[in-house]
Amino acid sequence: MFTWTRESGSGRPRKMTSNNKEKASRRSASQWAVAWRRFKRNKPGVIGLTMVIILFLFPLFEFAFTQLGWIFPARPDPAAYTFFYEIPPKIRQPPSLENLFKQPFRFTGIFGTTSIGSDVLSDMIHAAKYTLYVGILVTAITMALSVAVGATAGFFGGWVDNVLMRIAEVFLVFPSLLLILVFVRIFTLTVGEPFWTIPPFNIQIPTGLTIVIVVVAIFNWGSNARMIRGEFLRIRELEFVEAERALGAGNGRIIFRHILPNVLSSVIVVSSLTIAYAILLEAAVSFLGFGDVNTITWGQILQENFGDARVVWWAEFFPGLAILFSVFAFNLLGDGLSDALNPRLRE
Amino acid sequence: MPESILTVEGLKTYFFTEAGVVQAVDGISFNLRKGESLGLVGESGSGKTVSALSVLRIVPRPGKIIEGKIEFNGHNLLKKTEEEMRKIRGNEIAIIFQDPSSSLNPVYTIETQLKDVITAHQTQPREQAREKVMELLKLVGIPDPETRMMEYPHQFSGGMKQRVAIARALALEPKLLFADEPTTNLDVTIQAQVLGLLNDLKKKLGMSLVMISHDMGIIAEMTARIVVLYAGRVCEIARTNDLFEQPRHPYTAALLEAVPRLDMRKTLQVIPGNIPNLIEPPSGCRFHPRCEYSQDICAKKVPTLEQVGPDHFVACHMWQKITLKGERASHE
Repeated sequence: MFTWTRESGSGRPRKMTSNNKEKASRRSASQWAVAWRRFKRNKPGVIGLTMVIILFLFPLFEFAFTQLGWIFPARPDPAAYTFFYEIPPKIRQPPSLENLFKQPFRFTGIFGTTSIGSDVLSDMIHAAKYTLYVGILVTAITMALSVAVGATAGFFGGWVDNVLMRIAEVFLVFPSLLLILVFVRIFTLTVGEPFWTIPPFNIQIPTGLTIVIVVVAIFNWGSNARMIRGEFLRIRELEFVEAERALGAGNGRIIFRHILPNVLSSVIVVSSLTIAYAILLEAAVSFLGFGDVNTITWGQILQENFGDARVVWWAEFFPGLAILFSVFAFNLLGDGLSDALNPRLRE
Repeated sequence: MPESILTVEGLKTYFFTEAGVVQAVDGISFNLRKGESLGLVGESGSGKTVSALSVLRIVPRPGKIIEGKIEFNGHNLLKKTEEEMRKIRGNEIAIIFQDPSSSLNPVYTIETQLKDVITAHQTQPREQAREKVMELLKLVGIPDPETRMMEYPHQFSGGMKQRVAIARALALEPKLLFADEPTTNLDVTIQAQVLGLLNDLKKKLGMSLVMISHDMGIIAEMTARIVVLYAGRVCEIARTNDLFEQPRHPYTAALLEAVPRLDMRKTLQVIPGNIPNLIEPPSGCRFHPRCEYSQDICAKKVPTLEQVGPDHFVACHMWQKITLKGERASHE
């Protein structure tokens, strides 16, 4: 097979000989290029990545569909049971595709309606952004904490390591779900405004949900910190670290410039898995009725309709499927990344 | 006699492990003259590497320099602050390590790593740094440096990696270079190339070189003077020729006998026993349990370095009473 390329300097497309091809592949053989090539061959990983991309498209869909009137706008106050999309409200409608063939064209009703007449599909699409918000923010906080703690413990060792790891273990042995529920309830009681508005684009940040996120993150950094500590311990002993020290590099430079980039691949893999876990945990918290009642999340939909589950099974089934989809997506992606970035682990 | 660039006096570096205090380096003294190449020889665990790391003050935990004096260019390095030491490392004293496979950071290109060293110590514009990197790679004999400097360590062979490691060590033109078994992990032909390169560079740049090895052949090839270490102490210091011709310490003689040779049909002599446990080292002369000439005094009194000839020192109670065969003699 021949590939056409433009050699720098010659300015003229040239047929690649095997020799040139080898050179080109050599030049782009950074760790990331190699990992990407390996990742592309991994089917489950690619499927996971596709699913994740679809998830990230949902906020876009949400905006477009709402503007087009294909789905109902977000419920302003889902707790208040005063708002109905349609008058008279179509309550407990089983899933049907009939709205697709009617004028005006709508997606509504595909997943049925609930006992208060809200449309399951519309709610689910509005909730997708919060799922990503939960997954990403929990992971960001968790990873920031665990990289800071793990790097310090692993690099400095000795009593610093001992103290930090004992603290991490305290968080590991706690029955975390129970404590998360307690703390979420305590902090949610103190919430005044249901939303913070961030000035430039008037982005609405749900206060209660953010509290859930912070609490979940604080109870989850332990195991990741241990993993990163282990990586730091391993890489700290490699000869290039000693060589850098012998060339006059200080601790800061060794940690940030030399060890951290080597740990990055593991951090990425664990991040992906942490996102999946965080989504699941938030759904659990919401389902148990400790979530943010002002924000509609998939777990929240499950909770709202739990009492009627025998009748409106679709209001439980489809949000549950969505949670499964997103957890599955990030887990597949994480596995694929781990195969691509740490092939050693699989050998 | 040219003046000394490095004088080590009574250096003691101990490792405080959970099992006890390991006396890895226990009172080593030697000196290195300007432009000289000195060999540090001994079995594994004799304190060669730890001595080198002590000079740079990068002994890994739980190791600690207990006492001694390390004078480099007239300054006592043990009195310097960490900040001052960092300026000396790489700039004045550099070291090449044993294992080229892990001595380069796998996530950066060769260019980035070398540039890093250059720009970290000197404020040079990036352009000039690039030129300098190319020059360095050319110096250590890497073909096609413009292309190869954009590659990652895993794209280099072991010998090439070691050349890059040498280039990195030489980037700031240090006055003193430690080569810690630089060829142990390379195959023989590459070994010869790398040693030849080191010799050339030493002459070209006028560095002083401390060659650390357990390979007597390499040491004979590369150095003018040899310090023989055993279990953290100095046994013998002599000019290379003198040492090979007339070793005065039984350990030196045993080391020479343990060198395999192709041109002689002779069974290889093994030194009986192992290097002692350095948490509870043998009393007196540390070599006495393995020494065929040992007497009562050897277990009681620590021998001091005595001058036995021009530039020839030995730490042995028995040296006057025994005659040892040199390398040449022993094979005839």
